[in-house]
Amino acid sequence: MNTPSNSSNKKELWKSLQDYNNDPEAIKFKHNEFLEGVTEDFEPSHLSGISRRKFLALLSASAAFTATACTDYRDKGEVIPYNKRPEEVLPGVANYYASTCSGCEQACGILIKTREGRPIKVDGNPDHPINKGKICAKGQASILNLYDPERLREPMASGKQISWKRADENIIAALNEAQNNGEEIAIVTGAITSPTTKKVLDDFAAKYQNTKIYSHTLINDEQRRNGWLESYGTVEYPSIKFDEANIILALDADFLGNEGSYIENMRKFASKREVVGKADFNRLYVAEGRMSATGMMADYRLKIPPNVQYEFVIALANELIKNGSAVALDANVKSIIEKYSLSMIESAGKEKIAHLVRDLNDNRGKAIVYAGDTLPKEVHIAVNLLNEILGNTALYDYSTSFKSLIKQSTYEEISQLVDSMKNGKVGVLVHFDSNPVYSLPEDFGYAAALKKVKTIASLVEAENESSVLGNFTLPVNHSFESWGDAYARGGIYSLQQPVIAPIFNTRQKEAVLLTWISGDADSYKEDLYHNYLMNNFDAVVYSKKNVLSDAKTFWYSALHDGVVLMDEKAETKKFNLSILSNIKEFRHKSGYVVHLNESFFVGDGKFANNGWLQEMPHPVSKVTWDNYAAISPKLAKQFDVGMNDFIEVSVDGKNLTLPVLVQPGVHDATVNIELGYGRTVAGEIGKGVGFNAVSLMSKGYSFSPFIYEGASIKKNGGTHKLASTQEHHSLDDTFVKDFHRIRKIIQESTVEKYRKEPNFLNEEKEKVKEKLVSITQEHEYTGVKWAMAIDLNKCTSCGACVTSCNVENNIPVVGKDQVERGREMQWMRLDRYYSGTPDDPIVSNQPMLCQHCDNAPCENVCPVNATNHSADGLNQMVYNRCVGTRYCSNNCPYKVRRYNFFNFRDHFADAYYENDLTSLVHNPEVTVRSRGVMEKCTFCVQRIMEARSNATRDGKILNGNDVITACQQTCPTSAITFGDMNDPESPVAKLRNHNLSYHVLEELNVKPNVTYIAKLRNIHSEEIL
Amino acid sequence: MSAVDYTKELPVLEGKHSLRELDDLIAKPLEIKPDKKFYIALSITLSMLGLGIFGLGLTFYYGIGMWGNNNPVGWAFDIINFVFWVGIGHAGTLISAILFLFRQKWRTGIARFAEGMTIFAVMTAALFPLIHVGRPWLAGYLFPYPNQHSIWVHFSSPLLWDVFAVGTYFTVSLIFWYVGLIPDFATMRERTSHKIKKITYSIFSLGWRFSNRHWQHYEMVYLILAGFATPLVLSVHTIVSFDFAVSIMPGWHTTIFPPYFVAGAVFSGFAMVQNVLIVIRKVFNYEQIITIDTLDKMNKIMLVTGSMVGYAYMMEFFIAWYSGVEAERFTFFNRALGPYAWAYWIMVTCNVVSPQLFWFKKIRRTIPVMFVIAVFVNIGMWFERFVIVVTSLSRDFLPSSWAYYKPTLVDGAILIGSFGFFFTWILLFTKALPVVSMAEAKAVVDGAQPSHKDH
Repeated sequence: MNTPSNSSNKKELWKSLQDYNNDPEAIKFKHNEFLEGVTEDFEPSHLSGISRRKFLALLSASAAFTATACTDYRDKGEVIPYNKRPEEVLPGVANYYASTCSGCEQACGILIKTREGRPIKVDGNPDHPINKGKICAKGQASILNLYDPERLREPMASGKQISWKRADENIIAALNEAQNNGEEIAIVTGAITSPTTKKVLDDFAAKYQNTKIYSHTLINDEQRRNGWLESYGTVEYPSIKFDEANIILALDADFLGNEGSYIENMRKFASKREVVGKADFNRLYVAEGRMSATGMMADYRLKIPPNVQYEFVIALANELIKNGSAVALDANVKSIIEKYSLSMIESAGKEKIAHLVRDLNDNRGKAIVYAGDTLPKEVHIAVNLLNEILGNTALYDYSTSFKSLIKQSTYEEISQLVDSMKNGKVGVLVHFDSNPVYSLPEDFGYAAALKKVKTIASLVEAENESSVLGNFTLPVNHSFESWGDAYARGGIYSLQQPVIAPIFNTRQKEAVLLTWISGDADSYKEDLYHNYLMNNFDAVVYSKKNVLSDAKTFWYSALHDGVVLMDEKAETKKFNLSILSNIKEFRHKSGYVVHLNESFFVGDGKFANNGWLQEMPHPVSKVTWDNYAAISPKLAKQFDVGMNDFIEVSVDGKNLTLPVLVQPGVHDATVNIELGYGRTVAGEIGKGVGFNAVSLMSKGYSFSPFIYEGASIKKNGGTHKLASTQEHHSLDDTFVKDFHRIRKIIQESTVEKYRKEPNFLNEEKEKVKEKLVSITQEHEYTGVKWAMAIDLNKCTSCGACVTSCNVENNIPVVGKDQVERGREMQWMRLDRYYSGTPDDPIVSNQPMLCQHCDNAPCENVCPVNATNHSADGLNQMVYNRCVGTRYCSNNCPYKVRRYNFFNFRDHFADAYYENDLTSLVHNPEVTVRSRGVMEKCTFCVQRIMEARSNATRDGKILNGNDVITACQQTCPTSAITFGDMNDPESPVAKLRNHNLSYHVLEELNVKPNVTYIAKLRNIHSEEIL
Repeated sequence: MSAVDYTKELPVLEGKHSLRELDDLIAKPLEIKPDKKFYIALSITLSMLGLGIFGLGLTFYYGIGMWGNNNPVGWAFDIINFVFWVGIGHAGTLISAILFLFRQKWRTGIARFAEGMTIFAVMTAALFPLIHVGRPWLAGYLFPYPNQHSIWVHFSSPLLWDVFAVGTYFTVSLIFWYVGLIPDFATMRERTSHKIKKITYSIFSLGWRFSNRHWQHYEMVYLILAGFATPLVLSVHTIVSFDFAVSIMPGWHTTIFPPYFVAGAVFSGFAMVQNVLIVIRKVFNYEQIITIDTLDKMNKIMLVTGSMVGYAYMMEFFIAWYSGVEAERFTFFNRALGPYAWAYWIMVTCNVVSPQLFWFKKIRRTIPVMFVIAVFVNIGMWFERFVIVVTSLSRDFLPSSWAYYKPTLVDGAILIGSFGFFFTWILLFTKALPVVSMAEAKAVVDGAQPSHKDH
């Protein structure tokens, strides 16, 4: 095609004639892409400054924002897989480390279960000869203190954060200054059970020679030790072979409750309450003014106030020497003894005393008289004498005597310290994990004297009453983050190892002292105390053990076992008879007696900030979150007060107003109050819980630090609601009297009857069984079928099982207000029933948990199938199917189902336990339940599944005995048995067929799978009153 | 009052009305603007409803813990209110279906209103099973629907039966009510000149043209539906009573519950209908439609059902004693003498003693007195459910788990809210629909039906 010649500048392609002709109009038109009228609206200057790109960016950003804001995805932190897996950590598999419990001075051996590096459970160390794999409620729950959000995280100086280095420098300077000025350096510590800690303290005292070390704990066994010292010349008293005693007389001694080595005592006691075999029972007499856990277990209980105990013991001795004495008594001693006669305490029950005298007489050398820690040393001396007279010293076990590394300071020594402080003679004062402001009687004036001390350093885990008055508050490791050792009992050296790196900027308390000893703040290293401990171990333990292995190997094996048994010479001591003459006529004063005792679960106040322990129902009163004045019904009537009413208790001009708990069985002249409550600086949980009974204590006590005669009581207007998990019925309310017997909830008899008619229960059981007809075909369980048996003869109601269950199954703390409303969440409860008279009640205890009924009434009423039955006989809960109609709970005759009325973790104390730290305590194998969901005991299904998968892995058939539930594992008396009832050889199947076995509410035909073994009381009768 | 001639049936309506007058009278509330009194009443009921919504909001936000329910007492106000409102809903269908089948003409003046109350009461009641669950957002689990987990509902649970029973009852009652309304919709359609109203009435009247064929079909359908509804009247409360009777709790596990619950439901339902109608007849000048004679008859039914309930109370005690079951005996002693004795004696006084006054004709025909008695009956019937639910649960088998139940303010707010919900619907009903069936009323005026008396 020819291009037009006249237009060289013409285009080859043209749109129009104008275009072809290069019409200027067309050129202009082409330059303006948009026509006028189109562009004027798009004039960029009229538009906003946002560019297209920016607009898109903003759009996408806001879309992203909206999407993020609307999602409920929570940032759960970074989850990083192990780059290089630590050799011993296998995700999903728990590791166990042996250690030593530092909950109290008994230093039980523990196994700490960790998952992926975090401790989640504490169990007893089976290799430890004292607690043999068992651990108490306090030990169980102590894990919550590790994850307490209020633990101190950084060193503080006068309320401001400070670096460890600065703090150390300041304190070292102050120590040197005090040393140079000749001022005293005082270390106030609690009880020390660690020989290496003692060595650190000694080293400290050697470096700073003006150092004086004071030891003080609110609850202590000083009276016993002093009594022993005067009787036998040593403060190290032997343990008692309760497992060999036929007759036990406990004098205001809660040896099965919370006194002394109670885990060991319970085990030994229960070994003589075994119904499998010939039912060779011991007989327990308890003479007490209060109602203790031991008192609940008594076969015979004599109401004797604590200030009459001395007279009672000597009168018993007077009665018993008529039949001779194992020690030669001189005329002097006899003349003292003869002043006392049993006739003066006849009111406690003539018949019971006659039985007691006869039993003690008949079982010389096979009986033991045991006095409580709160009783004055004179009573202990008298008891020592009585045991000597009866030859009961055969039951003393000197090989595992109670050691004393640092003796408690006497009140005189503490008075001197306070005087020095007041006079400005104390330059530096160190609270070495102690809280003297709370634990010392107020009349020492310790808190006021603190103001005169220039430098006060408190080595504590959390702020307490003492640390807030000092200038340096130095956070120390929780015991699970610490190295340590213990030598609390003769021949038993146990080790403590850290199972988690310090969560916060805390240090081992001994390492802090070692830094100060070195005098150089930079000398601190993380393994400072670790090395010190190993060196001391080599010197104290390894060198004494003749082992072939080298020191390192021995150390590691000791660490693995947690305990090293030493050969300790058991030295039998001789009783110093002349001491009795030193005791002047010891007669009680009439009037009311105030008896102060250790709190059951918060101890000396140490566990005040532990919600699990605060919420444990008291074994006797079932009260949570409080202490109270327990008085007898008669006394309450006399002062016209009832449950929850305030009374004012006064002794020697000191007053305490607290609510009343009318406690059947308490002596009419006693007011019984627990110590350890009323903390003012103890964190959100513990602050202001209960009433501080230390305020009744006095440094110038005339009887015992814990017992005050001549008290007066006054009704004080107002009430304070005690939150109890069980209703308090008046015992003489005939309307509801003895229901547990009428309804056969508790089956009891006596040893005598059982010996005569071992099958007395069976006839009745057969009768009931005949009547029970199922109209549908029963399901057959051919494989493993889970069942539990609980021996009521052994249960002391100590609550270890409940706490163990709490920890294992992630049970939330609900708070006092919710307990008051009856919404506690514990899956297990310990039911307590009274029969008899309010004056002299008979107590029956019963652990109650889901009975996993074959014909479970809860299952058929659930509209959504959220609770159903497994093939191995478990009554299961499907949490994510549950809509929360609560129908199952209504239809449960045992009322063991627990409902999440709130999201309790969020609801309790402003979500105190809902934080990243505390959630580390949860067992990852157990769902954390939220609001609106029903829950209950699962028979520890996670443990069953673990055992099942282990069996599958090993190619074995699942053996029912391989599953140990949390409650069973920790029960100090092994009252709980669990296993496969279809295996006729299993212990649980044997107990199910035992002639003392029964089911609660058998007549409902729900076919429970928890069997109870009827309780036998070892009394001189075939009938219980 | 002169002696009544019992050989003659009493006239249903008093006075001589022309059909036109009747239409005018009944349609009047729908054709005038609501007055001040209406708005005051509505604001009161809406405030009550608001209070309930507030209480529900707290419950949904925090959990069931806002209520007083505790461990042994898993159900309390939630289920009490549910049973109470289902009970209230019983009178309507009884009046419209059973009395219809028995040719009780006196039902004419009250049937429509009672049916409306049934609907609203069942709506109120149906709220409670949904809100009483701990996780209401999962309440759908209560319905059988196919799902990827292949999880079915649990058909042996009485709570599920409730869902079906109440659902069926509501559906049938609603249809029955609507069918009865069709001729009236047509009447209203003819009367109104307002455009929107006209369209609305036209739609709902389903092309009703008052033809003979229509009437024939209508009468047949109405009769069939009445036949349908009749067993439901008995079944709903029977099944509600199964919630308790099927359980194993002493005090719940009794065979007397179904008839006893039905009698109680009719009792309380009549009391509520009587209460509301006394107000309505006064406000709307329906004295000649809802006559004293009608109220007298309702009071007689209350006397009968109240006595039945009283008999059931006695029988429960007798059987508890006669059974020899210790737990059962205790539960009943505990009701009368235990910590909740106050509630028990309120119940007995209100339910058994107060209706006995209806033996006196004078009282049956004196409006203020019967009004007060009916209020008492409703209080008593609420407490009956309280006694059944709370006292049985608070002290069951193991004394260790016994606990006293105390309601919270939120419980009270929701109870008040349920009344607010119910009465709000009632108020809107009076302004939206003819509260008396015009068609049926016209059928019972003097001379509307063939009569033989003057021959």
